[in-house]
Amino acid sequence: MSPGSSNPVEFGFVCPLSDGLHARPASQMAKFVAEFVSQFWLVNQRTGTSANLKSPLAIISADVRGGDTCSIRILGPDQEQAAHALEQFLGQELAKENENSLPIEAALPQTLPRALQSPAITRYPGVPVSPGIGKGKAVVVGRLSLSQPLNGDSPASREQEERRVERAIATLRARLQALLSRSMSAAEKAVLEAHQSILDDVSFTERITASLAAGQSAGEALIATGKYFISLLKSSESAYVRERAVDVEEICLRLLEEIDGPRFGSARVTLEEPSVLVAETLAPQQLLEVDRRWLSGLVLEYAGTTSHAVILARSLGIPAIVGVKDAPVILTAGEQIVVDANRGFVVPNGNPTVHRFYDREWQTQRWRQQALSRHSTARAITRDGQRIEVGANICSGEESAAALAQGAEAIGLFRTEFLFLGRERAPSEDEQFAAYAEAARGAKRRVTIRTIDVGGDKPIPLLNLPTESNPYLGYRGMRIYREHQDLFRTQLRAILRASAVGPVQIMAPMVSTIEEVLWLKEQLGESQEDFERRKIAFDPLLPVGIMIEVPSVAFNLDQFSAEVDFFSIGTNDLNQYFMAVDRDNARVAKLANVRQPSFLRFLKHIVDAVQRNGKWVGMCGEMAGDVRNLPLLLGLGLHGISVSSPEIPALKRTISRFSVHECRQLLLEAIECARLEEVDELLRNFTSHEPVQPLLDPELVIVNSDSRTKEEAIRELIDSLYIASRTENPDHLEGLVWAREQTCSTGLGDGFAIPHCRSDAVKANSIAILKLDHPIEWDAIDQKPVSTVILLAVRESDTSNAHLQVLAKLARRLMNAQFRDEVSQLKESGEILTHLSRELQIPLQPQ
Amino acid sequence: MKIVAVTACPTGIAHTYMAAEQLEKTARALGHEIKVETQGAMGIENELDENEIRQAQVAIFAIDIEIEKRERFRQLKVIQVPVQEAIKNPKSVFHRLQG
Repeated sequence: MSPGSSNPVEFGFVCPLSDGLHARPASQMAKFVAEFVSQFWLVNQRTGTSANLKSPLAIISADVRGGDTCSIRILGPDQEQAAHALEQFLGQELAKENENSLPIEAALPQTLPRALQSPAITRYPGVPVSPGIGKGKAVVVGRLSLSQPLNGDSPASREQEERRVERAIATLRARLQALLSRSMSAAEKAVLEAHQSILDDVSFTERITASLAAGQSAGEALIATGKYFISLLKSSESAYVRERAVDVEEICLRLLEEIDGPRFGSARVTLEEPSVLVAETLAPQQLLEVDRRWLSGLVLEYAGTTSHAVILARSLGIPAIVGVKDAPVILTAGEQIVVDANRGFVVPNGNPTVHRFYDREWQTQRWRQQALSRHSTARAITRDGQRIEVGANICSGEESAAALAQGAEAIGLFRTEFLFLGRERAPSEDEQFAAYAEAARGAKRRVTIRTIDVGGDKPIPLLNLPTESNPYLGYRGMRIYREHQDLFRTQLRAILRASAVGPVQIMAPMVSTIEEVLWLKEQLGESQEDFERRKIAFDPLLPVGIMIEVPSVAFNLDQFSAEVDFFSIGTNDLNQYFMAVDRDNARVAKLANVRQPSFLRFLKHIVDAVQRNGKWVGMCGEMAGDVRNLPLLLGLGLHGISVSSPEIPALKRTISRFSVHECRQLLLEAIECARLEEVDELLRNFTSHEPVQPLLDPELVIVNSDSRTKEEAIRELIDSLYIASRTENPDHLEGLVWAREQTCSTGLGDGFAIPHCRSDAVKANSIAILKLDHPIEWDAIDQKPVSTVILLAVRESDTSNAHLQVLAKLARRLMNAQFRDEVSQLKESGEILTHLSRELQIPLQPQ
Repeated sequence: MKIVAVTACPTGIAHTYMAAEQLEKTARALGHEIKVETQGAMGIENELDENEIRQAQVAIFAIDIEIEKRERFRQLKVIQVPVQEAIKNPKSVFHRLQG
């Protein structure tokens, strides 16, 4: 460190984020450097713009795009330390931002459902940005503008004007704070925090002060400042940065309202019935203010896919379309409109066919959601009836409820260090207790709280940990607890208190010797005694476990098992220590493969040793989250795995396809392999034999259908495939079925029709059956109406398999009058299934 | 009469087999001897060999697409109908044999 040094530190960096330094990384960066006393400047070498790094707005305005080279200059008493920390931050934390950016899926080339094809139906195209179907009254929202003149505002003294601005900022900040204290989604929170950060931005306030100093009134200064930043942001080459202009505009307008009276006029709306908001553009707080019970869709003319309004719509699940040309003009206020944000258009004044189509579509979407969530709430059980607990890894208390919704059966890892990151002071016992208790309440399941795990790749400023030449082998995990005993004790106490709220357990990271465990238990024991004395509630049987990350533990498991209740294998670190590979070093990272036969053998040794001792053993590293590794994990005999929440539904579905018995055989073969390629080959062969879905399924039989036309009947059958997740592209499939109908009608006579198609847009060969309440016209060969419709959907790439034989058999049976007669008599879906499976000699369950 | 037949429809999962079924059933009822080859999604099934074709007096093609190995039938009288007709009115297909 060189206090008072007059030579700044300088270094260069290349922006690793594909979206550039947009609002979120910019505010993270500003927050990070705020911890230091030094001044920070960034110069974008491409544009020559320089920015104060403590101002997110200035960073955004510097328009740093992915791959831009920048130089960073730091001057001040802590410049050396700051430079080191910032370089690490840029290299590690910032790069993670790429994973968080929201990709917008390109629209698929589409076939329209037949119900929407009539030339009489108007459709206004746009870009769908938040999926779903919304129906409601068009409510046209007026435009925001900073250009309206002020209400006869003449400047008072400079001090008075400054106070007016300060008061307005304080009022708005308090209002945002109040909004933030409500429970809300992460996206809502992020938007409001972004608005807060504009208010707190040094460049923003400096600009206002400068305008006031030049003799402008408070109102004039706000308008000038707003216009300055808006034009700066709008001139950016990045769409993302341009879209931030509406945020600044809204902030300035809201401040102006405080000073100069109402400004929003027609831009302020009240909803009283299901409504679709139609606007040129919408400011985020405008959207947050409307009554969400009545908000069924958004149609915007100008709004980027990454604008806050769009991000909010997505997080709130509101169907939204942007880029609808002249939307506020072509859509008439008060008319019933449909926002089809799955296909990307708005339908104004639709006819009854359109409305009926969308009512059914809406129902279909709901049923599909229900079908999907049935999977997530079921327990993870293998084909041969073995259980494996699938838990979630979380970083904050509030994530636990979402994890539960994804189907988590436990919280397998609560990474508590995230409560400490980016803080000047450690979170208090109460604050930590609140987070742990929230996790326990939200999850309604066992929560494994891992005590703070910092050092190595996770430096935190508040602990002032020394810089090390080899951090992964250094002062990290539980190794720092003795020195930071107060901090650790506070955490222990918070966890103990949470143990009275719900089932929690405690887990220590980076354990390498028995002594460390004994010390931890001693600390815990002291806190427990203290709790008893002071009559504070806690769980006296609170289970204590450790992470297996250091290889030394693996060869001392009999002894560890005598001291702890459970183990969790952290594959990332364990593998890196086992293979002697720094995973951040690109030259060697490839060696750190968890499927190396030696590593699999090592894992087997660990799991066997723990099980011999009758203790619980799970896994919480990246290896567990990769569905490709699942057969190996089941083969190991782990009691549980813990992964990030979004991976849970797919993992649970896949688990149900495997048998532990077969997986165990696979693992035994894998550990006999000499090379990684052989293991991968084994896995490929193993998973290619997954059982296929049955042709017939109760989900695919609909009785008492109220379809009124051939069009509706075909769509209803296709939708049943969609609800059962047998297709992701029902429109395309419907188009294929209709193309087949054009060659010749599939109405067989005697009230039967068999529409069909062959395409890989269907994921599993399927027979779907529809019994109609009222027979419909089908242009059948005997010209009689149809009351039984059987849809055959076959995968294009499946040739000569057993399913095609069954379908051929069904086709032949349908030529038999007696068979047709029997099927047309059946009224219940169970009867139909039993009859067909007997006639066609096929099982109803997957083999 | 000894008859050989081929059925083939565009998708090859239903009508090919329905037509085959109808032709077989009707032939039996009318006292003919028939073998029907299907060219569907599973490829050629119940394939007609040279001998069977040589012994047949007539071939019926109930097809909506071009078939494979048509050259096998060069020496034989062929009645070709749309698949739909074989399904809808198989008897009329056999009536044509008399004509």
